[in-house]
Amino acid sequence: MLNIADLGQFVIDGNEPGIIENVNLLVEAKADPIAIINEGLLSGMNVVGEKFKAGDMFVPEVLMAARAMNAGMDIVKPLIADKDMPSLGTIVIGTVKGDLHDIGKNLVVMMLESAGFKVIDLGIDAKVEQFVAAVKEHNADIVGMSAMLTTTMTYMQEVIKACQDEGLTVQYLVGGAPLSPAYSEKLGAIYAADASGAVDTAKALTA
Amino acid sequence: MIIIGEKINGTIPAVKEAIEKRDAAFIADRAVKQTEAGADFIDVCASTAPEYEIETLKWLMEVVQDATDTPLCIDSPNPRVIEAVIKYANKPGMLNSISEEGEKCEVLLPLMEGNSWEVVGLTCDNNGIPTDLQTKLDITKSMVEKAAKYGINPDRMHIDPCVMALSTDNQSLLNFVAEIAAIKALYPTIHVTGAISNISFGLPVRALINKNAMAFAIQAGMDSAVMDPMNRDMMGTIFATEALLGHDKHCRKYSKAYRAGKIGAMPK
Repeated sequence: MLNIADLGQFVIDGNEPGIIENVNLLVEAKADPIAIINEGLLSGMNVVGEKFKAGDMFVPEVLMAARAMNAGMDIVKPLIADKDMPSLGTIVIGTVKGDLHDIGKNLVVMMLESAGFKVIDLGIDAKVEQFVAAVKEHNADIVGMSAMLTTTMTYMQEVIKACQDEGLTVQYLVGGAPLSPAYSEKLGAIYAADASGAVDTAKALTA
Repeated sequence: MIIIGEKINGTIPAVKEAIEKRDAAFIADRAVKQTEAGADFIDVCASTAPEYEIETLKWLMEVVQDATDTPLCIDSPNPRVIEAVIKYANKPGMLNSISEEGEKCEVLLPLMEGNSWEVVGLTCDNNGIPTDLQTKLDITKSMVEKAAKYGINPDRMHIDPCVMALSTDNQSLLNFVAEIAAIKALYPTIHVTGAISNISFGLPVRALINKNAMAFAIQAGMDSAVMDPMNRDMMGTIFATEALLGHDKHCRKYSKAYRAGKIGAMPK
């Protein structure tokens, strides 16, 4: 039987059947489920994130790796109490009201989950009330907002203001085609240029 | 193939800078070069903060129209902005774009009554971009029917079925060609357009994916494209594909494009 550390390569290869078979074997052999996540699945996904950032792996391969990792997660999650579930932090994310463009946001969600964040995805066209309610319910650390249109990105300001009015202590991570670091700073948010940048920034914000 | 030149768009960093500095020479140069390369329309998109969008678009339109006679393609996600600037166009061009989202059809189609303006129609609605062929066809039908009320025939409409990325959907090209063929079967005189380069998002050597996707799309009936006309490889692919499909009698356009230095190696 293989070691927990060997699981990483199955994730990198996007080998979902391999992950399912071997995670099940490890669970039967009473391996620590949290170690399976941290030392096996997530460590493999970290390598994927690095390779993606370096241009050595591409989106379809990252998707396969994430699928394999999630198949492993599904097996071990029921064995771990919610409070013991390893998490780098909780992020509430959505494309803001009026904006339906979600390819980029979905990639960010996938990369954040793969890096070990708990992600509450509000989907497209998310309104102020949805962001505020989700931050309260899940005690989130970060609000992530995405926009592809100049006409919708201004809505981010309303979300931030509403969270501040509610006295919520969260940080703001924003991205999308029309945004710039300067505009984001004006909003009181941190800008991420792409999915791996979003992961790095989220890690820095929750460290 | 009807070419809508995409190089004057505020989401491109160099263009954004030129807009901020009001660098007319930079914008004019892009307009002239796209025209020389074969653009049938020059797209202008400000992509600034909403409070400056109208004045920016007006400035872009003036600069482009001073530099070339090629008709404009006025591009804004906000139909009220297009409504506000259409009067600055010297002659009819194209509006970019309508869809079944919000009030786009209701604002823009009346502006096209009794003239020769054309329009890009995206197959999306308030729920986003549908994933199935039938919904995209239903949206197309609805836009064509609304246009007919203003005397706008399908031959003035360029339907964009919104091609998805191959990296996130393995069937994206196959779906795209099925959509093109179905739209053309429904309205033989309608134009089908698209920004084909979306298909290669997230993959290496995107140009290879883009050129081959273009050939399949043309075969399916795509006859209009939002693209960079200065991309010689893509222009060459288009001319070659048209010739191969028998759309180019005696290959004259292909040969002419070569003699004019538009395709093949750069003339010395």
